Amino acid sequence: MKTKCILLGGIIIFLAVLILHPQQEVVISIKEGMPAIPLALPDFIVLSSSPESKAVAQELHQIISDDLKYSQVFQLLPKSYYSYIRPLNPEEIFFKDWESIQANILFVGEVPESEGKNFLFEGKIYDVKAGRLIFGKRYQSEKVLLRLVAHKMADEIMKIYGERELFTSKIVFISNRDGNDELYMMDYDGHNQTRVTFNKKQDYMPAWSADRKKIAYTSYRNNKAGLYILNPFEGEITEVVSKGTNFAPTFSPDGKKLAFCSTLEEGNPEIYVATSEGKKIKRLTFNKAIDTAPSWSPTSREIAFTSDRGGTPQIYIMDAEGSNIRRISFGGSYHDAPAWSPAGGRIAYVSRVDQIFDIYALNLRTEQVVKLTESNARNETPSWSPGGRHLVFSSNITGTIQLYTIDYDGSNLRRLTTKGENKLPDWSR
Amino acid sequence: MKKAIIFSLAFLMVFAALSSCRGRARVEEVTPPPPPPEVEEQPEVEKVEEPVIVKEPELTEEEIFMSKTLEEINLEAPLQMIHFDYDKYFIRDDAKFVLEANADWLKKYDAIVILIEGHCDERGTEEYNLALGEKRAKSTLDYLASLGISADRIRTISYGKSVPLDPEHNEISWQKNRRAQFLIIRK
Repeated sequence: MKTKCILLGGIIIFLAVLILHPQQEVVISIKEGMPAIPLALPDFIVLSSSPESKAVAQELHQIISDDLKYSQVFQLLPKSYYSYIRPLNPEEIFFKDWESIQANILFVGEVPESEGKNFLFEGKIYDVKAGRLIFGKRYQSEKVLLRLVAHKMADEIMKIYGERELFTSKIVFISNRDGNDELYMMDYDGHNQTRVTFNKKQDYMPAWSADRKKIAYTSYRNNKAGLYILNPFEGEITEVVSKGTNFAPTFSPDGKKLAFCSTLEEGNPEIYVATSEGKKIKRLTFNKAIDTAPSWSPTSREIAFTSDRGGTPQIYIMDAEGSNIRRISFGGSYHDAPAWSPAGGRIAYVSRVDQIFDIYALNLRTEQVVKLTESNARNETPSWSPGGRHLVFSSNITGTIQLYTIDYDGSNLRRLTTKGENKLPDWSR
Repeated sequence: MKKAIIFSLAFLMVFAALSSCRGRARVEEVTPPPPPPEVEEQPEVEKVEEPVIVKEPELTEEEIFMSKTLEEINLEAPLQMIHFDYDKYFIRDDAKFVLEANADWLKKYDAIVILIEGHCDERGTEEYNLALGEKRAKSTLDYLASLGISADRIRTISYGKSVPLDPEHNEISWQKNRRAQFLIIRK
């Protein structure tokens, strides 16, 4: 009797933990004011009996599952819940079942067939409470593009919920893995690391355009640090300016402007702005001190930047026309590399204390500062994910400089690169 | 009478022919060549002289210099680099002596155009370091200009911390890496 009681008690605690578990995750998200949406992602249905199709279905499921878990927008229901209800019948879905395990969204994936190099994939998103199909899409592709198909599907779910496309976003960065500093790009999760430039020159500080089609970057050519705009998908390169040292380019989120640092006039590092094609260059700062590292506000109306006009490098904000300059970083002697979150409320930056660089985020509404990295290393060049829930940055924590991502609160550290040294990441918007 | 005229004419012709013969004979009357002078027997004398090479004018220092390629000149590094303090871009006193020597050299070779590269150590952030490297190059330019070198002969560039001289991570390598160095880009 006694053992039975203990056993029963154990089961009750076990069940309570199971039930509480997802709610705990919700609590973390509530802190950010956006509860994660409970989503059911049962195994994908394979309509053919071939083992290949089964493998394709499993891989797609894994990638979409990883994507949605990473999103912080959705919260995947524990797999065990699916055993409490009737198995999924795509012809006749018992929405009450899915509601009973607290799913808001049900994602049904099907792999009708997979032959040779090709495969078919169909994804359907159901609103459980309303009991209706919200969205459905069928993909036909080659297996080498399986990851892209999965990311596209996951991004469709993001779009339905008003989120920016995250999983098809790209991180452009500088790597010396093939000898000298060249441009590379990769998926948000570190897959598909691809070389972009092959010019044998030193390339530096790349930045994506708002439409994800062009990259502005510095290239050291003919003893000049010129600024160029590259369309990597068409192979076109446009020179913006080659006089002086030009660096730290950044496109405005509205797609109209390109801000950068240049020593074009008088040889002093100042912030300039041009059209997104790199024309009509106009100077924004007029100060004997260093002004550098511009970063646009999400509205494209303001620019955060670094200046040592007060004696040490600090973060300032100015209007996009160069007026109304005010300092926003305090309490340290060295701040640089501001990155304004596309979600708006935060500016991430690097703070140097005793030769250690860590990344901090300033909440512009509460003026609270949160330390995002904690390591005896140099963590620098933060760049936000499209939705502002994640950051990519470089760190020499392992001894070589590599790229990592973290969530906006500093959790969930992931290493993305291993080959050579990798730095100066910029996450497409 | 007719006979007498013919006779006298014939006589005249013979006379004329004879007299002309006599003139020709006189020309042919050549005196015999004199006997060769007696030569005193003595040894032949050869004046021995080293062949004289026509000396080209010696190359001036300038000409030697101009005959070299930019690569060769830069390899010899006629302009010494200078170093900076951590986070700073002012010209230190020890660097002033170096720049004075550099200025003298630049005055001597007044067609030379140089590039000043500003570099930083790894203990600064990427963005600020690129600006700081430029400041170091610029203060080096300004100092050379104050010594009378035309700013038109000087370009500047910054590499931030991307091209360290010493890849190690200690005080010595950091000091080594905080520098402005010179590249001759035109002569």
